[in-house]
Amino acid sequence: MIFRREMKRNLKSLIIWSLILSGLVIMTLSLYPQMAADQQAINEMLEVYPEPLKKAFGMDKVNFGSLLGFYAIQVYMMTTLVGSIYAAIMASGILVKEESEKTIEFLLSKPVNRSEIIMQKLGTVVTNLLVFNIILTSTSLLGFQFADGAEYSGKVFALLAFATFLLHLTIASVSFLLSALMRKTRNIVSLSLGFVFISYFLHITAGVAEKFEFLEYVSFFKYVDAGEIIVNESIRVLFIIIMLAVIAVCISAAFLYYEKKDIAV
Amino acid sequence: MSIVELNELTKYYKKTRGIKDITFSIEEGEVFGFIGPNGAGKSTTIRTLLNFIYPTSGSATIFGKDVVKHSKDIRRDIGYLPSEVNYYDDMRVMDLLVYSEKFYKKSNKPRLQILAERLDLDLTRNIEDLSFGNRKKVGIVQALFHEPRLLILDEPTGGLDPLMQNVFFELITEERKKGSTIFFSSHILSEVQRMCDRVAIIKDGELIQVESIENLIKNNFKTVILTFNEPTEANIDLAGIVQQEAEGDQIRLLYSGNIRELLNCLQQLPLQDIRIEEPSLEEVFMHHYEK
Repeated sequence: MIFRREMKRNLKSLIIWSLILSGLVIMTLSLYPQMAADQQAINEMLEVYPEPLKKAFGMDKVNFGSLLGFYAIQVYMMTTLVGSIYAAIMASGILVKEESEKTIEFLLSKPVNRSEIIMQKLGTVVTNLLVFNIILTSTSLLGFQFADGAEYSGKVFALLAFATFLLHLTIASVSFLLSALMRKTRNIVSLSLGFVFISYFLHITAGVAEKFEFLEYVSFFKYVDAGEIIVNESIRVLFIIIMLAVIAVCISAAFLYYEKKDIAV
Repeated sequence: MSIVELNELTKYYKKTRGIKDITFSIEEGEVFGFIGPNGAGKSTTIRTLLNFIYPTSGSATIFGKDVVKHSKDIRRDIGYLPSEVNYYDDMRVMDLLVYSEKFYKKSNKPRLQILAERLDLDLTRNIEDLSFGNRKKVGIVQALFHEPRLLILDEPTGGLDPLMQNVFFELITEERKKGSTIFFSSHILSEVQRMCDRVAIIKDGELIQVESIENLIKNNFKTVILTFNEPTEANIDLAGIVQQEAEGDQIRLLYSGNIRELLNCLQQLPLQDIRIEEPSLEEVFMHHYEK
């Protein structure tokens, strides 16, 4: 019941975000043939880029001229960052909204457990992200048609798609926990978006200079770095474990806290 | 068996008091009033009973089940009307009522229609556009339609016009005839007098007294405001006047006694105007319960 209601309520924003991001992905990928044709010129241009800048955006590791290299630098940044913003906004509102708008008083007076409420809302978040990622992946595959038969590794692309989804889930879990903890919606969007941007910023910083490499473990964006995935053709197991652990901890904490929360609106 | 039983129920919000050591019980089929000034702890008590908030100490049962452990079970047979009704702003009235209905096993669409008609509620309106009183009507329908064993109503008449208040009291009376138990909070004495068998009186988070309605009516307090032509002194001599004070050309009485004797007495005074009102709860408390 609550699941269906939440899916319906969140449908509009799912559609809008999917449309915008898919549009961007398609548009960007449609530029690839030109880039590939002018490979020479582009490589010369990249030569003169300062080294830290190249490092920051992972251009030192991947070949900009290859399809996946182009994807990693131009598209992957959008799907991870913009997608994370969507994940943060959606997940951070889902529980606290009921409290902030005082509709929780209605919901809690019905025969329904708090764990059922939280379970169904979590289900909504995961389903929305799944649909969102399926759309993004399909659009990317569609966009690859512009490359007109350019070779790319299906395995690496699958890894990138999986990494994106895992990152979205991780960001969403942190936001979901915030949503369980807070009472008012006022600050929650800035809080969870701040978390996304700081993570992203730390990721860039860690890339720029070696002395910031200790930041490697701090940012989730670093965990799903496209350069590493393309070069190694794998995601580091440790990173996957950390992200899964963060998801498990955040969601359990959200359940435990919400179960005992005093909800006086 | 008692339908509702509170046992030294206490709730503190961090350090601030909510309610303290509240003990009383409500019997099956009773209309039980819960009365006290704003901020006395009425809503806190109700929210604890519904497990929106957890008790600091003490316990309570509804239908013999613990309100914390068996909250979901209990809520199957409860209809709750909050004092301030807040609903999803993207829904129409009908959507909300259908959503609400889905949480219960039995479906009863005709009853929904009938209730809405009696309350003169337009089901196609957007909830966002409803006035406070109309929202309250939606609240009444969703609290009543599954014919709960226990109705918990938090200041139910606020926002309803007198006509609708009558319809509301009719509906409550019908539920009562079917055997429902009704627990309702209010800060309006006359409303409680009209409906209830017994009342619990709460002030500053503590239970002052549980009383039958006859006792309350026996001490039927009135505030009488007399206006004279010229400044005057408070010197009306009549048994039943609990308190009187003069201010300019007005005298303000708190009276508890025979109304005819009062009128007889007032007849002889050179009055310019007279107002007889329900006293505020505070006044009643001050002069009755703290004796």
